[in-house]
Amino acid sequence: MSRAKRIMKELQAVKDDPTAKIGLEFVNESDIHHLKGSFFGPPGTPYEGGQFIIDIEVPMEYPFKPPKMKFDTKVYHPNISSVTGAICLDILKNAWSPVITLKSALISLQALLQSPEPNDPQDAEVAQHYLKDRASFDKTAALWTKLYAGSGAAGPGSANVDEAELYGIDADAVQEFESQGFEKQKIVEILRRLGIKRLDPNDNDTINRIIEELLK
Amino acid sequence: MASDEEYSLQFDEDESDEEVTALYESRNTSEFTLPDLICHKHATIISQESEFDIDDDEDDAIHEYEDEDDEDDNDDLLALPITMSTKKALSEGSVPNLKYECLTTQGIYERMLKRIHHLQPLFSIPPDDILILMQHYDWNEERLLEKWTEKMDDLLEEIGLNVTSKKIVDNTNSNTRGLKYRKDFSCFICCDDKTTETFSLECGHEYCLDCYRHYIEDKLHEGNIITCMDCSLVLKNLDIDQIMGHASSNILMRSSIKSFVQKHHRNYKWCPYADCKFIIHLKDTSSLGEYTRLHYSPFVKCNESHRFCFHCGFEVHAPADCNVTNAWIKKARKESDNLNWVLTHTKECPKCSVNIEKNGGCNHMVCGNCKYEFCWICESAWAPHGKSFYQCTMYNNDDNGKTKTTSTEDAARRLKRFTFYYRMFNEHEVSAKLDWKLGQTVGIKVKALQEKIGVSWIEGQFLSESIQTLVEGRTSLKWSFAVAYYSDPSHNLTKIFLDNQILLAKAVEELSELLLTKQPEAIMKKKPDFYNKAGFVENRRLALMECGRDLLCKGICKPTD
Repeated sequence: MSRAKRIMKELQAVKDDPTAKIGLEFVNESDIHHLKGSFFGPPGTPYEGGQFIIDIEVPMEYPFKPPKMKFDTKVYHPNISSVTGAICLDILKNAWSPVITLKSALISLQALLQSPEPNDPQDAEVAQHYLKDRASFDKTAALWTKLYAGSGAAGPGSANVDEAELYGIDADAVQEFESQGFEKQKIVEILRRLGIKRLDPNDNDTINRIIEELLK
Repeated sequence: MASDEEYSLQFDEDESDEEVTALYESRNTSEFTLPDLICHKHATIISQESEFDIDDDEDDAIHEYEDEDDEDDNDDLLALPITMSTKKALSEGSVPNLKYECLTTQGIYERMLKRIHHLQPLFSIPPDDILILMQHYDWNEERLLEKWTEKMDDLLEEIGLNVTSKKIVDNTNSNTRGLKYRKDFSCFICCDDKTTETFSLECGHEYCLDCYRHYIEDKLHEGNIITCMDCSLVLKNLDIDQIMGHASSNILMRSSIKSFVQKHHRNYKWCPYADCKFIIHLKDTSSLGEYTRLHYSPFVKCNESHRFCFHCGFEVHAPADCNVTNAWIKKARKESDNLNWVLTHTKECPKCSVNIEKNGGCNHMVCGNCKYEFCWICESAWAPHGKSFYQCTMYNNDDNGKTKTTSTEDAARRLKRFTFYYRMFNEHEVSAKLDWKLGQTVGIKVKALQEKIGVSWIEGQFLSESIQTLVEGRTSLKWSFAVAYYSDPSHNLTKIFLDNQILLAKAVEELSELLLTKQPEAIMKKKPDFYNKAGFVENRRLALMECGRDLLCKGICKPTD
């Protein structure tokens, strides 16, 4: 019973503090276990201007067990799965304490967008991108924010985005192999798998490795 | 290897090495004394060796050494001398160079407490606080002392033993440690307003007792330090007992010791027997590698008389060595899955004996190999069945007429061979379990002897001794099938081994039968028989173990996949 009381109180606290710009509401009024949270991308980051929706599941043992949170909005971030939206954050796991609220957890997620931990990644491909080429990573993350979290977000799939651009792969690199007669989709897939975003025309080893993969 | 030979001794089967034996005998007896359980009095506290010292470097060195272990013909050369007397003791069931002790988590914890009281003058903080520090450093005294001398005050704050002003909430009512009784208290965790007991540390983060209990309950079994819900201030054992009730902190301490044991599994091992609570502590693991290299099983015995190999953590497995045991277990696990699957899901084609899996559909089978059409249920020709696709009209319980032509396939033969040994192994395992149960009833029998015909307790002991011999014989017999499976069947020594196996099996069965005697009078009358049969089992067992080790040393028994 205390759990319902606590959740209601937490909801009220979010409503009472509009300056925090945190959203929290039930998905369905009859089910207090399932909520959606939202917040804005922190300014000065590639996530600026986006609004991110978080799916929240409150377990029976709440607040003694952490809530299950994941990103509904697709986001390009080392600690968030680009496919499932699963989050790697200690306070949602072993570092949880009953004094943490849904609101403070959402604020922690916002802070996670501000300062990624690429050395403890959830999405290895994204983390590698972040560590190897920060500028290119920022560009891709900003593109994802615009596409999926922007005010005029077209929603996944409907926008006509270039797949290579979506994963931060240099268009010239794709062009290079396309001109050799390979299929674009396959090129992008292999470049993603190998974690190659940009191509040095003199780096024959890498080029050979890619061609080898393409020919498989 | 040449440098090795300089200080190694020729290990020979003949008993002429008396000089060497005498030389090392004295050493062995002195080594066999139990380690002193009570702290020794040394001049300084630090110089005293901790009983819980774990020298990780040394352990790694041993590990590397084992990796080099190979089956070459240097097996008879010893880096460390194992004398004839040691050898004799080994086969008789004790491992002289292994000095170990049998403990429980509670026992280890109590000794940790003793250590802490001993070290207390160095710390000048209460023993309860040292306990937290020890827990933080995984009970590694050396590391703690190092950090302690380095940065005493920082450490206390870092771990949450010291209250700093910045942590204190401005709440004048609750800035004392302990339980309070409050009217109309509003708890932040459960959001209830009620008159209740509360708890807080000096930090003033105060919550109702129910919430605190809920919070601590799960954490007791994790064994980590428990802190205030809102800051890093530590709850000491006294606080935990105050919140959770008398001696609850003991659960936390035992959980912590458990993870300590798991972390130091090279020196500490749980007894692998189901529900056994004992832990064996072996301080010096340096000789383990040597025992296994010589194909001995360096086993230990817990206070429940469970014997297990300290090297691989498995039950005592002589005459098999750790390699054979490992290979066998892996294979048995893999193959028994296969076997079970094959037995439940497939049938052999009645004509060509190929195994056929029925993956759905009707009972009208067509063998993919020989195209024979048959009924899945009765395994006879399909033609007489007519059109009744889903029911066999021919079903007959008699197994007559099913002649199985044996497949000549090599794989099938190998599987059969394994199946045979596996079945023998299993049968003895089951019997060993039954014997163990039988052993439990022996106490009752001994009592009956005392009451009914006035036999003294000491006189009745031959019964439990016989059971012990029986179980040991059965276990050795069981593992001998693993050795037999991996041995070259054409070698003469293997044949001798198999003969020895048969002799032991016979001896074991005879003793087992004798132990089924129920009448107290009959038991007493047969007392000489018990001695004879038990002695016979023991002799046969030693012979089998010696022969098995020979197979291993000479490379006739080689575990393969």
